[in-house]
Amino acid sequence: MTLAEASTAPAAAAAAAPPEDAAPPRRKSWFRRLLRDKAAVAAMTVLGIIIFGAIFAPLLATHDPYVNSRSVMTPPVWQAGGEAEHLLGTDGQGRDIFSRILYGSRLTLLIGLVSVGIGGFIGSMIGLLSAFYTRLDAWLMRLMDMMLSFPAILLGLALVAVMGQGAVPVIIALAVSSIPDCARISRGIAVGVMKMEFIEAGRAVGLSDRDLFRKYLLRNCISSIMIFISLRFGQVILIGAALSFLGLGARPPMAELGMMASQGRDYLLFAPHIAVIPSVVIFIIVLCANVAGDALRDVLDPRLQA
Amino acid sequence: MTDPTDAPLLEVRDLQVHFDTEGGTFRAVDGVSFSVRRGATLGIVGESGCGKSVTSLGVMRLIPRPPGRYAGGEVLFEGKDILKLSENEMRKLRGGRMGMIFQEPMTSLNPVYTIGDQIIESLRAHGWKDKAKARARAIEMLDLVRLPSPETRVDDFPHQLSGGQRQRVMIALALANDPELLIADEPTTALDVTIQAQILELMRDLRERTGSAIVLITHDLGVVAETCDDVVVMYAGKVVEKAPVADLFASAQHPYTLGLMAAVPRLDARTDRLETIPGSVPPPYLQLPGCRFAGRCPLATDHCRSAPPPLKEIGPGRAVACWRAPIEEAAA
Repeated sequence: MTLAEASTAPAAAAAAAPPEDAAPPRRKSWFRRLLRDKAAVAAMTVLGIIIFGAIFAPLLATHDPYVNSRSVMTPPVWQAGGEAEHLLGTDGQGRDIFSRILYGSRLTLLIGLVSVGIGGFIGSMIGLLSAFYTRLDAWLMRLMDMMLSFPAILLGLALVAVMGQGAVPVIIALAVSSIPDCARISRGIAVGVMKMEFIEAGRAVGLSDRDLFRKYLLRNCISSIMIFISLRFGQVILIGAALSFLGLGARPPMAELGMMASQGRDYLLFAPHIAVIPSVVIFIIVLCANVAGDALRDVLDPRLQA
Repeated sequence: MTDPTDAPLLEVRDLQVHFDTEGGTFRAVDGVSFSVRRGATLGIVGESGCGKSVTSLGVMRLIPRPPGRYAGGEVLFEGKDILKLSENEMRKLRGGRMGMIFQEPMTSLNPVYTIGDQIIESLRAHGWKDKAKARARAIEMLDLVRLPSPETRVDDFPHQLSGGQRQRVMIALALANDPELLIADEPTTALDVTIQAQILELMRDLRERTGSAIVLITHDLGVVAETCDDVVVMYAGKVVEKAPVADLFASAQHPYTLGLMAAVPRLDARTDRLETIPGSVPPPYLQLPGCRFAGRCPLATDHCRSAPPPLKEIGPGRAVACWRAPIEEAAA
């Protein structure tokens, strides 16, 4: 025994040395590591530009997004017949598309972020709680099944009937419809984590349920849940657009990307840019959110750094 | 090695832990009794599924309920029945006066916190308010379990450590609050042999330094011989034999214990095949009228198959549950 101890002691010391040298790179802040991921940097830059544009829309817009002009259905500048005055052309009513995109992404991002934030928070809490307190599991999950059977569109319709048209009923409908999906996904993740031995070890150390839930369960699930939420963000923007298309979301003169795309549908054959440009912006937002979410997970999750 | 204080630190009396499953009630622990003296090491041996891990979780009151439940018995810690404590009182005991080491060092540490944070957290759950002092204590504990350069490694995440190092961290975690009782559930099973020896040496050394009693759960008779004072042999949820370690190895009385010992390969005799005990453990939901080992026992009689043998005292600290005991040497 002592022989084994003695003979392995120098080996252990030698083994301990390399990690010491390797220590500086792995102790870099998560932000520095994030910057090494080219795709993530690109995605977040684009997302940053769109968010910047949305916030400072009144300063950046070249035209009033609600005022019609004589030049109707002007194509973007790079196409034949494009005018330098309207960078991305004009829509069927002669409104400047560039300005409407800036204002439109305001509402789209707001609807997406708020509804996914509320729905994701409530949903993942329900999922985590039903994994943590197995007694609640069946009850909460059957409740989620009930909510899942209720389509977002129908809920939106009912809410608009009660509250009138606007962004708020859409946000509520989208948030509520995000809850069961988030709950089921996060429950699935959490059930897996609850089976890990360290949960039992945490109990054996005498931690309270609160600490165990927060530090052992939540912290081990949060990165996977965040990925799901960032994917859900894209879905919600699309459903929001569908609701706008049905006349349930933003009221027509207001600019909203989904609504702009659906209005452009009427001119798809002779002025495709009216529908394509807002759709491309939606596509870019969703894509960048997913890439950025993925990169954040890679950086924040210590288990992936082995 | 141990001072014979009369009052045992831990006394388990007729503990019954059952699991309600769809196939019926599974009596994982069926009337187990043993006691642990202060500063002594008790080994619980038996093959996989004999209920030894459930017993250890039962003592810590960590049985998941449902499906598990305590169907009877008492677990006396310093004379107080911990099965009657409130969850709050129990939480103070866990990690405080009772520590536990788990079998799987690879998965028993929270992967998203540094090892230092985990030790600090355990300290803070038991009354250490000052964070700087708790951190100093964490480093001291890591040093105690001989983790190299504890001042820097305290900020490592579990995935940066090897299996043996993680088990050292688990031991540091379990010992952080100076427990009087340490329950080690197969602490060396997942480690390779040289590391096993180091960990056992470490545990022996720590017991002498801290004076805590240890319950060591294992299926390795070699580990028992090296570290334990007393041994409890379990089979299919029941205690079949209890003895001081020297007596057990000198003259085991239960055919199951003898079978286990015969199955250990010997260095001084060349064998082509390892000994085995024929048959397998009866399925847990099966309610047998007689001795549960009767189906595999070379000495079984009709009486063995019809009536369960009681655990009877056969000497100081010795007891055996067998109708045929005491067994003459020839039987082995």
